[in-house]
Amino acid sequence: GQTNLKSPQDIHVYVVNTNFTLRWNYTGNDTNVTFSAEYRFEDFETNEAEWQELSGCQNVTGMECDFSSAITKYYNMHHVRIRAESRGEVSPWSSIFEMVPYDIAQIGPPGIELQSRNGVIKIKVSPPEANQVRKMVIDHPSFKYILVIWENSSSAEFRSQSIFPTAIIDDVSPDTTYCLKVQATLPFDSKEGLFSPIRCVKTTRKAVNNLHCATNVSVLALNMDFHLHWNNQYKHHVSYNVQYLIGYLKKLHDDYSTKWLSVPGCENITVTQCNFSSVITTTGFYYLRVEAITEHNKSCLSNEVKVEPLITNEIGPPGVKVDISDVLLHIQISPPGGAESELMRDSYDLSYRILYWKNSSNNEDEIKMKEIKQTIGTVSDLTPATWYCVKVQAFTEIYNKSSRYSKEECIRTPKGKFIPLVILATFSIALIAVFLVATPLGFALYQAYNKIKYVFFPSCQPPLNIEGFGQFLNSPYLSATEEPIENFSVIEHIITDEINQVDFKDYKHSKQTSRDSGNYSNDDDTSGNKASEVLEKEMV
Amino acid sequence: IMNAFGLIQICLILLCTTTISSLQCNHLPLQQKKVIEKSLKLLDKMGKRFPQQCLREKAFFRFPEQVLKPRQKETVKVAIEEIFQHIFYIFSKNLTLAAWDGTALEQFQNGLYQQIEQLEACVIKKQSHYFGSKEVNRMKLKKYFKKIDCFLKDKQHSLCSWEISRAEMRRCLQLIDKVIRKP
Repeated sequence: GQTNLKSPQDIHVYVVNTNFTLRWNYTGNDTNVTFSAEYRFEDFETNEAEWQELSGCQNVTGMECDFSSAITKYYNMHHVRIRAESRGEVSPWSSIFEMVPYDIAQIGPPGIELQSRNGVIKIKVSPPEANQVRKMVIDHPSFKYILVIWENSSSAEFRSQSIFPTAIIDDVSPDTTYCLKVQATLPFDSKEGLFSPIRCVKTTRKAVNNLHCATNVSVLALNMDFHLHWNNQYKHHVSYNVQYLIGYLKKLHDDYSTKWLSVPGCENITVTQCNFSSVITTTGFYYLRVEAITEHNKSCLSNEVKVEPLITNEIGPPGVKVDISDVLLHIQISPPGGAESELMRDSYDLSYRILYWKNSSNNEDEIKMKEIKQTIGTVSDLTPATWYCVKVQAFTEIYNKSSRYSKEECIRTPKGKFIPLVILATFSIALIAVFLVATPLGFALYQAYNKIKYVFFPSCQPPLNIEGFGQFLNSPYLSATEEPIENFSVIEHIITDEINQVDFKDYKHSKQTSRDSGNYSNDDDTSGNKASEVLEKEMV
Repeated sequence: IMNAFGLIQICLILLCTTTISSLQCNHLPLQQKKVIEKSLKLLDKMGKRFPQQCLREKAFFRFPEQVLKPRQKETVKVAIEEIFQHIFYIFSKNLTLAAWDGTALEQFQNGLYQQIEQLEACVIKKQSHYFGSKEVNRMKLKKYFKKIDCFLKDKQHSLCSWEISRAEMRRCLQLIDKVIRKP
């Protein structure tokens, strides 16, 4: 039953690799107290589970117990509780401790093997849980090791670097004692393991006969054409072997020294450069090194160079051609690398940046920019009769790289006003031409038509007074309308009589006046004139 | 003098490495698409069609699709990188009985690992916790890959067990490809 026994407090679990330790505090006065723990774990399928005895933590007298054998599901949520027992009485259960084993587990210390020779330190790291059957971390290659090294002197500075399981530390001074420690980490799980015990080692003297080693090994790459360059102080009788290693093998194999391969075409060469494009692909990365062999068969390996093809590679400039039509500038881009670099363009997902500007005497015209994905671009809104210059650069957003600009290509836009005038003139001329040609032609055709009609299809209507044709006529002649007949009669006498009766008073009056002018009347022929004048008056 | 020069060299190298890494961290998601594309092609290239005799041994692994569906795009990206890591380690086991095209396999592993290494550098630098420590989905992911690992061990890395695993990884990558292609 319930008694005055206090329940244990501050219950927590401490895990290193797969070693589970339960710890708690007990503030009760009673002696002869034992503790027993229970646990349950949540499965993803079932929500509730039963409390079970925690093996390894039953009737424990101390303040901690090891229950490693009980836990097998490292990714599931577990609950743990403990209570005190004394003389048949049990305390209430402590508060529940929740845990996901993998989350709270600490990575144990790795093992170290050291070798000191030739002025360098060679390290071989063995993973935590190396020889254990049950492992918290199933993929040992996933560990990333951090080395902390310092000189064993009073004013030493710590220096930390990330290393592979097999590593050579060559940036050390000869004949010096160095101390170091290593920890295993899992970056993705944000886990940093416990450090190994500190080990100290003394470096030897550097071997002096390394003058013939290749130095300054560097990579130059343009449009996926990769070249390795190096120097050598010792010029005579040295032949070289260029070797490469596929990048991921360093991670997976502790001893990758057997995985180096020779670059085809760069075996036993005497020049200090090598074209290693044949071994490069666009996926992944590589290490390159140069082995120098003297005539005495002494071999020396250079430093390694890491090559990440798509990052190391330099994209060459594209080719540009410009063409103009009316108010549109057409830009034809030929991609860098030519026909054989389809893979490069696909890996980079290349786009093109076009810069264009007016090439006038005052250089204050702004440079305009246009970005396109295709290899054909057009620019509109151009001023006529101006020189425009264009240059293009290829770039990739994925790798944040851009090529140099291509050469400038310039072209002049045609005169603007010329164009509508040309159209107008052409139209007018065409119109006039049409009229000039069409009208006489039409007329000629009409005449021809008439002639033909006259000759071949005459409209033969006979004169009216030919007998025999009357029967062809539907209606006889209509009685002609009365033609106006004028009654002519001689009326000479009447005219002279009428003239004598006319009052001469007015006439004399007018005659006198007319004499004055003289120009308009003839004195000699006055009688006749008088008569005709009167007659005219009457007639009017 | 030698020490000082050595230390300066190391500092410069570390500085350069960090600068280069920080430049690359922003472009990792864009590169993810390319890596998945290439990985799928190589996965197909390394072997032939699924052998008929292995149909009997089909095992059922339940890929936790919820991992690829959280609200934050950032979490999905990191989940994808973790999946790359798991796939990389699955294919690093004993492959002699699988008898696949060695070159395609090498390129497949190399491509995955380059991506993993780049992200590792970004994660270490930022020292941020992408997953909550009690994130259930992450544990489901680990369980899924551990199940495949155990399956391969139980079958002693036989040809059929490898072909089944390869088909499963292909399905996994295709799921990721679909998620990544969504705008």
